[in-house]
Amino acid sequence: MILRATALSGGYGAREVVRGVDLSVAEGECVAVLGPNGAGKSTLLRLLAGILAPSGGEVELRGRPLASWRRREVAREVGFVPQMVNFAFPLTVGETVQQGRAPHLGAWRPPSPRDHAAVGAALARVGLSDRSGASVQRLSGGERQLVLLARALASEPRLMLLDEPTAALDVRHQLEIAGILGELIAEGVGVVLVAHDWNFALRLAHHLVVLHGGRVRASGTPEEVLRPELFREVFGVHADLIPCEGGAPLIALRSVAQDPRSAPRADRPRQP
Amino acid sequence: MTRAADLTLVAALLVAVAASLLLGGPAATPREALAALWSGGPPEVRTIVLGLRLPRLALGIAVGAALALAGAALQALLSNPLADPFLLGISGGGAAAATAAYAALPAAALGLVPAAAMAGAAAATGLVWWMARGPLGTSSTRMILAGVAVNAAASAAILTILSLAPSPRLPGALAVTMGSLASASPSAVAWLAPYVLVPAFVLLLHGRDLGLLATGEESAAALGVEVATVRRRVFLAAAALCGGAVAFAGVIGFVGLVTPHLCRFVWGQSPRRLLPRAAVAGAALMVLGDLVARRLLAPVELPVGVVTALLGVPFFVALLRRSP
Repeated sequence: MILRATALSGGYGAREVVRGVDLSVAEGECVAVLGPNGAGKSTLLRLLAGILAPSGGEVELRGRPLASWRRREVAREVGFVPQMVNFAFPLTVGETVQQGRAPHLGAWRPPSPRDHAAVGAALARVGLSDRSGASVQRLSGGERQLVLLARALASEPRLMLLDEPTAALDVRHQLEIAGILGELIAEGVGVVLVAHDWNFALRLAHHLVVLHGGRVRASGTPEEVLRPELFREVFGVHADLIPCEGGAPLIALRSVAQDPRSAPRADRPRQP
Repeated sequence: MTRAADLTLVAALLVAVAASLLLGGPAATPREALAALWSGGPPEVRTIVLGLRLPRLALGIAVGAALALAGAALQALLSNPLADPFLLGISGGGAAAATAAYAALPAAALGLVPAAAMAGAAAATGLVWWMARGPLGTSSTRMILAGVAVNAAASAAILTILSLAPSPRLPGALAVTMGSLASASPSAVAWLAPYVLVPAFVLLLHGRDLGLLATGEESAAALGVEVATVRRRVFLAAAALCGGAVAFAGVIGFVGLVTPHLCRFVWGQSPRRLLPRAAVAGAALMVLGDLVARRLLAPVELPVGVVTALLGVPFFVALLRRSP
């Protein structure tokens, strides 16, 4: 087991956004966290990454309480792909991916050939080797997401945490990212994926965790979790599950079932 | 390529140093000044070169380096290319506190002026940061508006103090608001040195962290930066640099904004590479700016802030037009 969260709660100041969540990720396992807007998905990911301190419960990374790890040690084990990164300064693609080596470098040490190799491998994996000198400000949304993925991969993590990596991406980039994540999972990297797109999540996930109002509403394999009632009760929509040969079912959304505003929700977390 | 640029930068500083010592004014010709530096020539020329020009040069180097370092660090920390100690009201906050210290403290306690300026600068930094922080991080608009507010409050405080101050204290207090290196003395340079050297070391130590912070706090934390600790240290270091500069040279604008950007054209975005170069470039710019201020309308001496503003304002407008 790489990461295990027990009765994990946390939020922003007095506002508790995630309440009593249990979750674990093993080597080569993909856990998808799903839920409506404001369910606490991004906050849960920040708690798992140790970016946010929990108000209750515990996270263990490789069997050791996360609180006892130094931030840089965590960053070597856990690659985190945030939803938003500020590109106010026009770094090049190569410089941005190089930042992923920072957890290995410390304050003074310049990058070694080993670090350059890791950066090169990460760029090659996302197919941006030939764009290394391009400014990130000039990239499309899809390419930026690939750069952020490469930046997290450059630290050669054992666990990847991704916050909606395909939000606002076209289908081609979605498939590219799904392909890269599939390779990583096959190589034994653990993945926690926060997603809105069920069909994207189902391509990869071994285990689903559905959050609603900060609590786990359903948790299990896709077969255990996927039921039309879940969509009605959690998302307020009618959905059909269309069986597919040799894979997870396709989710077809039909119509709105109830006023989603009547559903309980945790407050949307403030972006830090 | 970087090595050639580094050598050019050092050469520029040396040229500025030589020009400042040799071309300082009509009281000593370049030939006399050169002779005085090699321990020759009449004593009054030696006094001018070693007693006046040399401390003024040293103060210019320290203040220019301090402002450029503070600007480069704040730009990265706030993920914002428009951050600058002057525009954000940090220098203004320091000046208000320094003016109050000049007006209120007994003459024997004037060594405390830099500490007061640093406290004022720190308070202004905290205030701006608190006001500029919106739900999506710090935005340029919010930050500039916060700077406007802090600057307005600081100048109101300064004007109040100036109207109430006892007259013997007015010149010192007034000099703070003007921005000039004219009050340089060996003891001023000695007082200022720790306010530049210690924060400079802290910032260089956190160069890599600052590069990560420039991409946002969550993103930096994910890559192993202890965000709260680094942010506190960088804020204090920037406040110390600005406070020290303000206490001995008054409010000098735009050096902190322009210098890091000029260096980015040559050395790229990484604060780790940028910070030491910005310090050297800031020193060279300040020394040259001061020389221009002294000689442009001689015998009248302009405040050096006028020269840096002439350079900085068009630059700021261009940056503002380009920023998202």
